[in-house]
Amino acid sequence: MRSTFSGFRLEPRSHLPRLINWTVPIGSFFAALFAGALLLLMTGQNPISVYQRILERAFLDAGSLSGTLVAATPLLFTGLCAAVAFRVGFFNIGGEGQFYVGAIFSSGIALALGRDAQVWIAIPAMIIAGALGGALWGAIPGFLRAYLRTNEIITSLMLNYIAGVISVYLIFESSSFWRDLEGTGKMFPKGKVIPPVAFWPEYGIGSLVVPFGFLLGIATAAWIAVLQRRTRFGYEMRVVGGAPTTARYAGMRPGRVIVAVAAVSGALAGLGGAASVGNFRHILDPKGMQQSGFGYAGIVVAALARLNPVAVIFVSIIIGGITNAGYALQGPDFPSGLVGILEGLILFCTLGGEVLMRYRVVRTRGVSSNVAGAQ
Amino acid sequence: MVSQPSNTRLRLRFAGIAAVAVLAVVSLVATACSKSSSSGSSGGTVKAAWIYVGPTNDGGWTQAHDNGRKFVATELGGKVKTTYKENVKEAEVAPVIEGLVKDGNTIIFATSYGYAEPMAAAAAKYPNVKFEQATGDLITAGKTTPSNYAEYWGAGEDTLYLSGVAAGRATKNNKIGIEAPFAIPEIIRHINAFVLGAQSVNPAATAKVVWTNDWFNPTAEKQAAESLVSAGVDVIFSHQDSPSAGEVAKANNLPWVGYDSDQSGAYSSVWLTTATYNWGPRYLSRINAVNDKTWKSDNYYGTIADGFTTLATFGTIVSADTKTLINAELTKAKNAGATSFGWYWGQSDRQDQSGAVKIKKGQTLSQKDLYEMSWFVKGVDGTLKN
Repeated sequence: MRSTFSGFRLEPRSHLPRLINWTVPIGSFFAALFAGALLLLMTGQNPISVYQRILERAFLDAGSLSGTLVAATPLLFTGLCAAVAFRVGFFNIGGEGQFYVGAIFSSGIALALGRDAQVWIAIPAMIIAGALGGALWGAIPGFLRAYLRTNEIITSLMLNYIAGVISVYLIFESSSFWRDLEGTGKMFPKGKVIPPVAFWPEYGIGSLVVPFGFLLGIATAAWIAVLQRRTRFGYEMRVVGGAPTTARYAGMRPGRVIVAVAAVSGALAGLGGAASVGNFRHILDPKGMQQSGFGYAGIVVAALARLNPVAVIFVSIIIGGITNAGYALQGPDFPSGLVGILEGLILFCTLGGEVLMRYRVVRTRGVSSNVAGAQ
Repeated sequence: MVSQPSNTRLRLRFAGIAAVAVLAVVSLVATACSKSSSSGSSGGTVKAAWIYVGPTNDGGWTQAHDNGRKFVATELGGKVKTTYKENVKEAEVAPVIEGLVKDGNTIIFATSYGYAEPMAAAAAKYPNVKFEQATGDLITAGKTTPSNYAEYWGAGEDTLYLSGVAAGRATKNNKIGIEAPFAIPEIIRHINAFVLGAQSVNPAATAKVVWTNDWFNPTAEKQAAESLVSAGVDVIFSHQDSPSAGEVAKANNLPWVGYDSDQSGAYSSVWLTTATYNWGPRYLSRINAVNDKTWKSDNYYGTIADGFTTLATFGTIVSADTKTLINAELTKAKNAGATSFGWYWGQSDRQDQSGAVKIKKGQTLSQKDLYEMSWFVKGVDGTLKN
């Protein structure tokens, strides 16, 4: 992966000094804060108080931290979805649609089981249904890539729109099982509220509220980490991702592995959809899901976490916190665009730092095509 | 195994270090900075907040609400401190409400339908804060809501009925094209009122409806208008938040009716009129009520008479004769009393598309009837998908 600019070239570093591995991300983060401070000064804001407010409203008091966990939970799942797939070179952009299908399946099963179901049946059923829905939707681009050699970036992206249209159809354009046709449902199309037994629990630690979905996400991340490092499937994923030809010589079936990875990746996003319905929304809400775009945001989370499932947990909390605090900053003197620029600066600098960490910038003298001749 | 640590181990170590670093920074700052807590209203200053689904300069819905906020700020000066949050996604509104309560706001206005349930939940949690929900329907539907939760909206269909009169007069081939976001009761009653208005002066008028599936989507709105033009309509009514259909109307020199913003300036050669909303007086009275401690929950339905909904400036193509007719109806509505709306529904038997009588002559419709309207009047060519 060499890219040539006029006069400069990115060259992969042959080895990563240990120090750089963690100083660069921290350095980039502070660079972002510095650039942000200049911008804030230019727009007449006090950077210190702005940053203080971000910290306060994202992490520092229990109420705000609870809000951050609400924002982080879907990102944790969609982040894992992207991390697992990208690790093996399967570029699943379809987390968004897999999230919708997971929400459709899990709300469907919760409604079907009804109000008399046992809690210990309703909630596991939602988890399984959400994962299954996401897995089915995710396996489609996997299958197409493995056996028909289509580009999964295109197919998984297109499937997002299809899943979006299906969810809108279920609520806005049909009298489907998911739609509430009583009470306020007669006045505005909306999903049926799932029965209270299917509401996922929340655990209060002092005034901090931890949603069950977030704990499930942490357990899932740990499971993915074990899967990747300690199992035969994990080994196969690494080989297929790194060297498909070698995998074939070693007697593996890369096609099957790709479909399996695609399904696992989709299942993770589907779990996110189930958590969103079970813990927070309690209805199938197509417009709300589409406004939020958790699937796409998950790709950013995965990239910042360097595709490491454990790091996804922390990155999702940080991004969730920034989203949460972003609303707190806004007001008549602080347009939402400025919040967006601050958030963008942080992402740009940290991802940029990643590139500079992996690649060296080398000056090319004279004709760039002949590096050896220049010596 | 090897002298150099594997990539995986490095990654794991990074995750560990990152975790420690984050925790360290958080706990450091936590102990360092004292918690700045904001107090509620004091010395007669009410802190009021608005939650918007779009940007404040959207040229339609959100802008109209923000004009209401500015009106309040001007009227009350130092007696009110206003703030707003824009582009708030419906699924993410709960923490935004929490934040506004924490900032010490004592009255919060939320202006998108999807905020209703989280607003009612927050009202139960914070009994000392007043929660006001625009376009909500929990109270109308008879749901139990906390006593510090109110809803407000208004009879936009009444001014759309009058806009329909202008359209009915403007059409030559009796085919009016309508584009609208969703087949939901709010839009259905607006379309019905508009078509009844057109038929009141032109019994032969019919309307063709196409759905854009979006409140605000300039591209889709333009395409929908073009599809109406190619279907042969000669007047356009665009129930959308952007004036895109006006571009199509201008290009084809067809009269058009917009929605919720006055476009008489930019499109004067083709503009008829439309319904616009004036939120300021409602906001002013509610904030005054908080200040006087007389605030009570209500389910406000604004009317022409109390100034909530108004007719936009007429375009130059509206004839003097038509203006006189509409203004006469408008004056009648203004004199009908602040709480009266929908005078036209029961003027005669009203049939649906299949010919069945849905409203009998002399019948009046309640707010609940209007909120549940799910059928088109005769003369509308369009499908309700459910």
